[in-house]
Amino acid sequence: MKLIFEYDEETTEHVPDVDDNKERERGGKEEEEEEAKEDITIELPKNLMRKKLPLPNVSEINVVRHYTNISRMNFGVDLGFYPLGSCTMKYNPKINEDMASLDGFKNLHPLSHESCIQGSLQLMWEFEQDLKKITGMDAFSLQPAAGAQGELLGVMIAKAYFKQKNEKRKKIIIPDSAHGTNAATAAMCKFETITIPSDSRGNMDIYKFKEVLEDDVALVMLTNPNTLGLFEENILEISDLAHTNGTLMYCDGANMNALFGITRPSDQGFDMIHLNLHKSFSTPHGGGGPGAGVVGVKSFLVEYLPLPRIIKEQDSKFVLDYTKQKSVGKVKYSYGNFGMLVRAYCYIKSCGTNIRKVSEHAILNANYLLNLLKDDYELPYTRRCTHEFVLSSRKFGEKSALNIAKRLLDYGFHPPTIYFPLIVREALMIEPTETESKETLDRFAAALKNIANEIKENPDIVKGAPYTKLVGRLDEVAAARKPNLRWTSLSQSDGKENSEKKLHVEKSVRNSSND
Amino acid sequence: MNYSPITENDKEEMLKRIGVRSINDLIMDLKPSLNEKLDLSKPMSELELVEHLRNISQKNKIMKYFIGAGAYYHYIPSAVNHLLMRGEFLTGYTPYQAEMNQGTLHTMYEFQSFICLLTGMDIANASLYEGSSALAEAVLLSSSYNGRNCIFIKEGLNPQYLEVLKTYCEGADLKIVNEIDDNTACVIAQNPDFYGNIENLQYVAEQAHKAGALFITCVVEPTSLAILEPPGNYGADIAVGEGQSFGIPVNFGGPYLGFMAVKSFLLKKIPGRICGMTTDSKGNKGFVLTFQAREQHIRRERATSNITTNVALMAIASTIYLALMGRKGLTNVAKLSYSRAHLLQNKLKSIGFEALNKKPFYNEFYMKAPSGSLENISSNLLKNGIHGGLDLDEDKILICCTELNTVQDIESYVSIVRETK
Amino acid sequence: MDENIRFTKEHEWIVLKEEGIAIIGISDFAQGQLGDIVSIELPKVGSIFKPMQSMAIIDSVKASSDIYCVMSGEIVEVNEELLEHPEWINQSPYELGWIVKLKPSNMEEFHNLMTNEQYNKFIGETEENREKDQSGG
Repeated sequence: MKLIFEYDEETTEHVPDVDDNKERERGGKEEEEEEAKEDITIELPKNLMRKKLPLPNVSEINVVRHYTNISRMNFGVDLGFYPLGSCTMKYNPKINEDMASLDGFKNLHPLSHESCIQGSLQLMWEFEQDLKKITGMDAFSLQPAAGAQGELLGVMIAKAYFKQKNEKRKKIIIPDSAHGTNAATAAMCKFETITIPSDSRGNMDIYKFKEVLEDDVALVMLTNPNTLGLFEENILEISDLAHTNGTLMYCDGANMNALFGITRPSDQGFDMIHLNLHKSFSTPHGGGGPGAGVVGVKSFLVEYLPLPRIIKEQDSKFVLDYTKQKSVGKVKYSYGNFGMLVRAYCYIKSCGTNIRKVSEHAILNANYLLNLLKDDYELPYTRRCTHEFVLSSRKFGEKSALNIAKRLLDYGFHPPTIYFPLIVREALMIEPTETESKETLDRFAAALKNIANEIKENPDIVKGAPYTKLVGRLDEVAAARKPNLRWTSLSQSDGKENSEKKLHVEKSVRNSSND
Repeated sequence: MNYSPITENDKEEMLKRIGVRSINDLIMDLKPSLNEKLDLSKPMSELELVEHLRNISQKNKIMKYFIGAGAYYHYIPSAVNHLLMRGEFLTGYTPYQAEMNQGTLHTMYEFQSFICLLTGMDIANASLYEGSSALAEAVLLSSSYNGRNCIFIKEGLNPQYLEVLKTYCEGADLKIVNEIDDNTACVIAQNPDFYGNIENLQYVAEQAHKAGALFITCVVEPTSLAILEPPGNYGADIAVGEGQSFGIPVNFGGPYLGFMAVKSFLLKKIPGRICGMTTDSKGNKGFVLTFQAREQHIRRERATSNITTNVALMAIASTIYLALMGRKGLTNVAKLSYSRAHLLQNKLKSIGFEALNKKPFYNEFYMKAPSGSLENISSNLLKNGIHGGLDLDEDKILICCTELNTVQDIESYVSIVRETK
Repeated sequence: MDENIRFTKEHEWIVLKEEGIAIIGISDFAQGQLGDIVSIELPKVGSIFKPMQSMAIIDSVKASSDIYCVMSGEIVEVNEELLEHPEWINQSPYELGWIVKLKPSNMEEFHNLMTNEQYNKFIGETEENREKDQSGG
């Protein structure tokens, strides 16, 4: 498969062609065609202008073929089962794409006058109201672009809240099953993390929790249900203890798909939550983004939310309110990933009062699949799961999870999440979601059972998988030790002598370079 | 409207297999349980949803836009959307299982390459959320690289970007200062700047490097890179910016496309996802995510960045855009944008506006309207379906033109302004 | 294996040389656990560390691990070759894969570390405990 840079062809005029003196010199027929073109000379000083633009010229037919063929080397929810635990790979409704593309939404400038953006403000305001009802929170910021950015906002709000109260709290408590972003976000804001082990039932160990809950703990960050797919049985006690200690409770809402209409995070004692719209709210993952990580808070924290807030006035007009003094500021340009908000808004409107069915079916599917597989694989925690569950393949040996994942590719399934959460050896985290049929679940279970047999009878076949993809197992070590991260060519020289630089890791110690 | 294929029959069989009588047995541990249905609206069928959304969208008023300030109107070729909407691109996940996702990875590699070629830098990552947080990530990178905690910002940075920087700095205990000295982690400059001014920033790079600081350039309107000297050629260590101009609609503020490219000595420090080329055991070329151990969710408590993801779909959109436009098309976009902006500026000058740019400009420029007149001018333009620019205080206005602003539109603009006086 | 070698619970080894300099690396067991190492972040020469303070970070393909300083002291040399050849830590953890040279400031600390025999026993027990841990209701 060529890289796009290897083409050099005549291109289509997507915008009017502007006069280029070199072409005129060729003379003849072309001179007549030249007449229609605008004559533009750039009058900028030479030291501001680029000598050469090293991009390819590609005809439209070849661009279309190039990317169409490339897309066929991909897998998506539209093609098959994608049981990635913690990612909620549910069906992405096509109507949501069309609604996000409506001219009135797509082509609206974010800095337009308030009178011109009433539709978008209405959508954002109504969306916020729906999120409040679903979670029980008192207000939402729709600004963060992703879950991790939502977490960052949450931790910043906690930091500002305690600064305001003049309380020196430097610690954040997370369970050992937590996703790495929780610890990373805490570190980004200069908090120290205390990690609490999980007990034999998969709950955060409440005794160990009590031991460390001192008055320098700012926040407890929990996912509920947790990354093991299990509901935190002690959640009410944990939030009571935290609140008595003056500590805030933050919910990583990645697993919201288990809770719609069944229970609300606010009732569990959470003061803040982020929701991943690209997970439970059906916006497409796009190969790794964009998403949105909206953040909800209880009323005592509203004044810290990013500006502007959207207010609905008496006459049903919507206005942007920039007056809150205590806001922590902005985490990104403009109001949020509006395009993703439209899609999630449509999803909630289409589910409406039936939204509970989403979670009920998600939980049903997960428990059904778990029951099909629990005799072939090991279940580290045997109590009822919620919308996802974790199996262990450790009885099949080291690296078995990796091998099983690669072998599943040959069966036409995307593998589950592997090696996460970190507390389970050879972990396979499986989340079917509610948009899968019973038949798909049966076929997937049959594939996993087959592979379990293959490992016993013919282990090499699993170790060498995949066989049916365009490439075999790729050498990730070489990719990191001898990095090749971009296309390079002789003709990319831009008047400076750096075009042939090899991009291997340069010899350097911290804080110095050999340039 | 429900997207779950499970029938009542299925449910019965599945519950039997699980060994429970009803769904309630599966959810009874999820407490505290809600006793009433959520107070949401009635479920809508697709038809009703379309009516509902159309109504809302029609309450927005789309104008002819002469405004940029961080979001730019450019022509998006049709083929971009047709390709982007393919389920293989749209509905996949992060390509952790590389063998099954060579499509996404291949385009990421091309995206990284395009960014390097445009910015003149050595290595780019596979995208960040958008321009302002990309700038914040660059600041965090600098601080982690040289252990310093002060930031110097050259005037002319987009005010929203500045606000975002302040938020991140407050969180990470970094300070914005007025001098460049040996406490400075990085020096930041936007080019062209918020007011449209273009400079060769070699002299700023030198000041930064003399103090041992990194030099970060921020490019918010990257079509400018078709004709302007790229950051890699005037001393930038890190180039960040906003890729929305490359095939992404303005979308009322997002999703957009942040990019970051660095000189090779910063490879180990660059945040976010990176795609690399490698081979399988048979020697077939393929692509994988690489250097994953740098990523914040792996580094956990030792993380030095906030981003766990990228905006793959937007990166694919911009890659397809750049491939379709090519160097010829992109140069035309830049020339037309430049030319229309200068045309409008000249015409406004001739009817009494004061040109305020002290340096050459690309497609954004700012002017001062005759005293006290800006409010009327702007509202009159609005009445005629034109968004004339970003109104700043003291009768100043920031105006942007692109290839989408036709000569007729410019004539209308000017004649309406003339009438208002 | 050098008789003067000692080990920590975090799987670093340290060897004292005559000139009052100690060499530090990670054990064969550790490099096996980490998998293929792709890069290392080394400390600056001249930096001072306390025992069990993180002084370096090793990245394998999918994970990132701290390497802890074994004794109090000052870093006098770092193995720059590892920047070009991180795989030496996997291939030769006790020889080519050495990580830093340290000037210890408190020789007492050396005696609190495990000998080769004690370390091998420690690894054996750790593995057994890991097997037991994976269960639950």
